Amino acid sequence: MLIERIDALPTDEIAGLKVRPGKPLPFGVSHAPNGLNFSIYTSAGTACTLVLYRRGEDEPFAELPFPEHYRIGDVFCMVVFGLDTEDLEYGFRIDGPHDPGAGHRFDPSKVLMDPYARLIAGRDVWGEVPNWERPYPYRARVSFDDFDWEGERPLEIPSEDLVIYETHVRAFTQSESAGTKHPGTYAALVEKIPYLKDLGINAIELMPIYEFDEFENSRIHPDTGERLYNFWGYSTVGFFAPKAAYAATGSFGMQVDEFKQLVKSFHRAGIEVILDVVFNHTAEGNEHGPTLSFKGLDNKTYYMLTPEGYYFNFSGTGNTLNCNNPIVRNLVLDCLRYWAAEYHIDGFRFDLATILGRDPWGAPLPNPPLLESLAFDPILSSCKLIAEAWDAGGLYQVGTFPAFGRWGEWNGKYRDCLRRYLKGDEAQVGQLAQRVQGSPDLYRPSGRSPATSINFITCHDGFTLADLVSFNDKHNEANGEGNRDGGDDNHSWNCGAEGWTEDQGIVALRQRQMMNAMVMLLTSRGTPMLLMGDEFGRSQHGNNNAYCIDSPISWVDWSLLETNAPLHRLVKALIAFRHRHPALRVNQFDAPGSNLFPSCSFHGTEAWSPDWSDQSRQLAWLMSTNLPEPDGGVDAIYVATNMAHYASWFHFPALPQGFRWHLCFNTGDTAQPCHAGEPPLDAGGILVGDRSVVVLKAMAC
Amino acid sequence: MNLTIESIAQDGYHLISLNGDVDTKTAPELLEALTALELAALAELRIEMAAVGFMSSAGLRALVFAKQKMPHASRLVLVGTSAEIADVIEKTGLTQAVTLVASHDEA
Repeated sequence: MLIERIDALPTDEIAGLKVRPGKPLPFGVSHAPNGLNFSIYTSAGTACTLVLYRRGEDEPFAELPFPEHYRIGDVFCMVVFGLDTEDLEYGFRIDGPHDPGAGHRFDPSKVLMDPYARLIAGRDVWGEVPNWERPYPYRARVSFDDFDWEGERPLEIPSEDLVIYETHVRAFTQSESAGTKHPGTYAALVEKIPYLKDLGINAIELMPIYEFDEFENSRIHPDTGERLYNFWGYSTVGFFAPKAAYAATGSFGMQVDEFKQLVKSFHRAGIEVILDVVFNHTAEGNEHGPTLSFKGLDNKTYYMLTPEGYYFNFSGTGNTLNCNNPIVRNLVLDCLRYWAAEYHIDGFRFDLATILGRDPWGAPLPNPPLLESLAFDPILSSCKLIAEAWDAGGLYQVGTFPAFGRWGEWNGKYRDCLRRYLKGDEAQVGQLAQRVQGSPDLYRPSGRSPATSINFITCHDGFTLADLVSFNDKHNEANGEGNRDGGDDNHSWNCGAEGWTEDQGIVALRQRQMMNAMVMLLTSRGTPMLLMGDEFGRSQHGNNNAYCIDSPISWVDWSLLETNAPLHRLVKALIAFRHRHPALRVNQFDAPGSNLFPSCSFHGTEAWSPDWSDQSRQLAWLMSTNLPEPDGGVDAIYVATNMAHYASWFHFPALPQGFRWHLCFNTGDTAQPCHAGEPPLDAGGILVGDRSVVVLKAMAC
Repeated sequence: MNLTIESIAQDGYHLISLNGDVDTKTAPELLEALTALELAALAELRIEMAAVGFMSSAGLRALVFAKQKMPHASRLVLVGTSAEIADVIEKTGLTQAVTLVASHDEA
């Protein structure tokens, strides 16, 4: 006989609804027998009320104060029976002291969103001006975690084998030229999978997709009258919910299913999904910002506050999440575990990650407990963890980020060195040698490996590749801040004219410089990352900080795919080349090398004699490894880079009898940079044109 | 708009004809009609969708619920689904639970 569980029965009635004391864990809302379990934390709050709405209605249909015996420790919890889950939106009112000087900002007139809300309604359509008077704008709903994965699971591709592609969901397909059915959505991104698969990348890194407010700090451009948005989304409203306005089915409240379908579709194409996550601050801003959730729940727990109760601003955006407070630490852990387990996410890139290593007063911790917890978490054990190892408070930890043997890093030093070498700066070859072998100067002393280094020349932050070779200076007028925003340390070179030009010599040089950058990036050890559209010369017209621009300046112009077809062909061939040649992906410093060559050696115009002088603008590297049995053999790739303004003859390292060098790439001819199936090179060297790169491979003959 | 549901056993399959909107208010009626069937013994269930203008996530979930109760090799066929609803089904990955056809001839 089946006996119904006793906890499936109510014990009390509040506001006309049957209820019973709930369970404190998990936080948020969870399914209980015959009901829903609500659980909410507040340490300084004195009373709590559960507020229930029917979908989309401004007035609640019930308000349920938690009786005192429904509180366990600092957690209010209640099971409510007989609710129509599909038609439900819920929030909380918390009473407590309103004393900003002491860090408390309780306000029971405000309805607060559950920080664990997994589905958020209220802002389903991108750019639809919200009703600012609405008392409860972001509305927590109940999600069904019942997606059918059909056996799908995360791919677990080794980091050194990844080629990451950084993308913004909306910018990627919003342009008409993208030719997708639902521009700017998860569904449209799925439509682009065949393109990405063809390009050969095997990881996509999505700029923030947690629910954020595109209207945060929104304003009208004083000159153009255009609306400026929080376009990038580096400001979180809800850490557990995918952004509804990015879903073609958002108005159906089906963004959870649509995003899971996205992950499943990418996995089926052999592409990992990495999320760019923002745990350093929230959308609530400083004391002038809105009260959406954390501020009214337990301000002092969730935010780093000055002794006077003001918000510390290490993120440069108004507030700083108090990540090493144990409560917030658990929130971050719960969040990442949820995305890993429920959405099958393959990895996370942490925005301004050094903030995660600051103590509640902002000082950097030697062994930050949050970073350690993430590194050793059982559910996250196969997820990639990637740090942006700096913050707006001046902490720069590239090479010294507390990694616990697990964390990779965006290598800002790789970016800067490659850019400076590319434009012909002096005194770069020595550092370049470190960068292209995975930055052992940064990572070897602490026992880390080359794949720790996420190598990139461009990312969303800064110039695109086409702009890097077309502009000396930023041109951010469209951002409405008088061109004062955005970095000035771009290490860019316009090749002879600022911006667009008819000068064919300059146009050709820019093509070559873009190709040079791509060849160097994709023949470096470490994990390469490309910025969306750079493979066909996407431009932001000199804007190096388009965080607020929702216009064709930010949107990927897919017509460039045709205009810059040779560049696209080259990048595609380079990615395939990288996948085919393990010598480029050796994930060990001081690896034993192959039967022919050391693992990584450096050369100049004379083999084995690199010119390390400050005046040198030429360097060649040779990477080699034995191929695995049973086939065996040797993989050896020689890359000659010449960033001088004159052509030079590079003598390549001699091969033993039975092997010959074959030309694979030469950016000297930008129309036909890719070579395959040609006879081996006869001479003992090759002429490398001015500002050109040549790639050879050794083959048995 | 109200929903009317007709449920008739046919030769070789069971047919449920829907007329109206399947929204939050009417989805429970659909679920009731589905649970009234002996789903575990059903080889094919057809839903006539041509007269459905809107189907909410609750309605879609009711269909997936029915499919999960049906035998593994069974079919849940939606006939004449509007382009909008078919689009939602596709975008949210529910296509593996249902078969979309334009007419009964194709089913």
